Amino acid sequence: MKLKIDGIICEGREGETLMEVAKRHGIHIPSLCYRKGFEGLARCRLCLVEVKEGSRRRIVSSCVYPIKENIEVTVTTDEIQRMRKNIIMLLLLKAPNNSYINKLAEEYKVAAPERYMNPLDDENCILCGLCVKACEKMGTNAISFVNRGIYKKVSTPYDDASKDCIGCGACAEVCPTNAILVEDNEGKRKIWNREFNMVKCSLCGSYFATEEAYKLMQEKLNDNEEPICNECRKKIAADKLKESFANIY
Amino acid sequence: MDRNKDRRILVCCGTGCLANNSYNVYLKFKERLSEDAEIEVKPIMKSTGCNGLCEKGPVVKILPDEISYFKVTVDDVGEIVEKTIKNFETVDRLLYYDTNSGKRIKSHKEASFYKGQLKIALRNIGEINPLSIEDYMERGGYKALKKALDMKPEDIIREVELSGLRGRGGAGFPTGVKWRTCSEYKDQPKYVVCNGDEGDPGAFMDRSIMEGDPNTVIEGMIICGYAIGAHRGFLYIRDEYELALKNVRAAIDNAREKGFLGKNILNSGFDFDLEIVRGGGAFVCGESSALMASIEGNVGEPRAKYIRSVERGLWDKPTVLNNVETWANIPPIIINGWKWFKSIGTEGNYGTKVFSLVGKVKNTGLVEVPMGTTLRQLVYDIGGGIINNRPFKAVQTGGPSGGCIPKEHLDIPLDFDSLKAIGSMMGSGGVIVMDDTTCMVDVARYYMNFLAEESCGKCTTCREGIRTMLHILTNITEGKGEMEDIELLKEIAETVMEASLCGLGKSAPNPVLTTLEYFKDEYIEHIADKRCASGVCKNLTSYYIDENKCIGCTICSKNCPVGAISGRLKEVHVIDEDRCIKCGTCAIKCPRGAVRIGGMKVEA
Repeated sequence: MKLKIDGIICEGREGETLMEVAKRHGIHIPSLCYRKGFEGLARCRLCLVEVKEGSRRRIVSSCVYPIKENIEVTVTTDEIQRMRKNIIMLLLLKAPNNSYINKLAEEYKVAAPERYMNPLDDENCILCGLCVKACEKMGTNAISFVNRGIYKKVSTPYDDASKDCIGCGACAEVCPTNAILVEDNEGKRKIWNREFNMVKCSLCGSYFATEEAYKLMQEKLNDNEEPICNECRKKIAADKLKESFANIY
Repeated sequence: MDRNKDRRILVCCGTGCLANNSYNVYLKFKERLSEDAEIEVKPIMKSTGCNGLCEKGPVVKILPDEISYFKVTVDDVGEIVEKTIKNFETVDRLLYYDTNSGKRIKSHKEASFYKGQLKIALRNIGEINPLSIEDYMERGGYKALKKALDMKPEDIIREVELSGLRGRGGAGFPTGVKWRTCSEYKDQPKYVVCNGDEGDPGAFMDRSIMEGDPNTVIEGMIICGYAIGAHRGFLYIRDEYELALKNVRAAIDNAREKGFLGKNILNSGFDFDLEIVRGGGAFVCGESSALMASIEGNVGEPRAKYIRSVERGLWDKPTVLNNVETWANIPPIIINGWKWFKSIGTEGNYGTKVFSLVGKVKNTGLVEVPMGTTLRQLVYDIGGGIINNRPFKAVQTGGPSGGCIPKEHLDIPLDFDSLKAIGSMMGSGGVIVMDDTTCMVDVARYYMNFLAEESCGKCTTCREGIRTMLHILTNITEGKGEMEDIELLKEIAETVMEASLCGLGKSAPNPVLTTLEYFKDEYIEHIADKRCASGVCKNLTSYYIDENKCIGCTICSKNCPVGAISGRLKEVHVIDEDRCIKCGTCAIKCPRGAVRIGGMKVEA
């Protein structure tokens, strides 16, 4: 079906969200909790856009809004810009020292009222939920949201070291604000209050994954070869490519 | 004594009366009647659901004499049996005292609290034993189901549609439209859900219905199931409602036994059954999509409703979800027809609405009135006015999502549209009356504090917006506010309203926005003058004695818990501000109104 985003005619399939269609057409919609491959979470509220459907205008979250034929979308109106600024201000109050949020605030020319900002606050998590989703996608479900309202946070059950966690670090990988601490040190990884032993790359000798994560990977890929890190895998692939081209010429 | 043959003694055992020992009153009656050899024919004893006037419970009604006794204690039972049961006399001191006319009234029906009421959803409550399905059937129960099963599903939907019934849960969506849309989806299975997760502070109508007349809810749900083609339904009841859970559970069992639930209901070939799901205590689970997530076993977080639950609701299947009170309206509509229902209420807002009238009003309790009854009628005629005849300040309707309505709007008709037009909402129908001892800034702070704990915390605007509004309001009530805070508060409130995901977030700023609109002077007084005129915000309150009014009676100094008031008999008294803990006792006790409330103490 066809729809217009900021005047550009876009093509989309039934069931796709506005965000997916916009991304495919290279149209930027700001967001913190959207990531390709994950279903929309509708948490951060930055991706609000205006949709005109016939004569009706309304503001929707583009990451969960299923597209309709012939809608006209405006990514940024004055009203939406004002909302986004206020949302960023609220995030700034939540995580005043986070560099990513500060960069965003700069970009949107937002200053938070100093009286309500705690300069010593070291909070980095903005509860976008991507980490929880990533953990769910890994099939581990070691972390989830805990509590509700302003006491909501992401954690393991009872804040204990989770027996389900495999230390894969997918949560930290997807976090937009670097809020999840991963400490790799001399063959050990510390994450979510738990320490993991790491596996060495059989080629370069660097530690690259926890034993648990590596085991899961092997099981999923049905792979029994010696552990090889990402860098070395890339190198092997590149060498093979080089070799095959060398034979052609 | 033959006259006792038809007599019934109904003892209210709703939650309010139970808390006042009504169950022991009931037992005492039974014991006293069975022991008394003089009474040959024993009257029928029943424990019933809530009679509404919880303020004056326990309530005992004697029929057909039409005598209602209030605040009955175990010790009164002997006298009632002697005088009323044996000798057909009334015990005058236990009769209803009408604050409006200053008279004692024999039948509650003539009391001003009940006179303006019209009971549809509450029709059986207080009249039947909620555990007895026979009682319900005696008053016409399950006749609507029988009638409905003889109708075409399409005709049932039309009946509900034409009646103009709108959802009683708060938003007022037309029930018939919801049923029709759901019936048009062919996807199976479909579900019927009852929202019994009532959580607004001060609201207890759904509780009362589930406790006092659970069968009407069940009957409504079966009819809907038949109309839309669903075979399974859920009642989501908050776990704190122990009595409601017990009574609904019993009603489901009884209905199954009578063949109203289960396979081949009343030989119609239609199957339908119900299950209870207990809520875990989250306010947000009263929001329909969070409620469904909770039934599915997921975290109770709402989702965006671009695809409605009637298309993809519970387990992504077509679902009709209605509130307890809405279900209770279905059987009477089927029995009496849409024309009857539409003749009650006002244009676009038909039927009645149950309000729980609480706060600083003389007659607190549960009230069912035709839509369009004015706020003034509710507070003054039915509610009997403000306690101690103090000045009316505001009412808060619709719970944390509602707004505060000032006295300028006392003549507003209570219906979905009129309330929305002035920035409040019907919500579940909680009406909290406030007098001049209520601080409106503190009220806004209270609701933000409530929502800070009860928002699900999913989306940024609702969670962080409420947190920040609470921070600002706390500052203002503690005397740390600045004038620019008003603008900031408004700015955040508007963004929370526009950008939040669900109904909770979208309506959360209402208490802030309405108090800002109607009581802005109080905000300014708090910020600029550092004074809380109601004496609620302790940092902004000081007490002093007006020397022209003080008669030196010493009552204030005798009652002061910290001995902060000095003065001799017949001489003007003085409050030592340094010792005063601002409890306000002196102001309440002073017979001359000589204790005045000042602002924050200014350091010398």
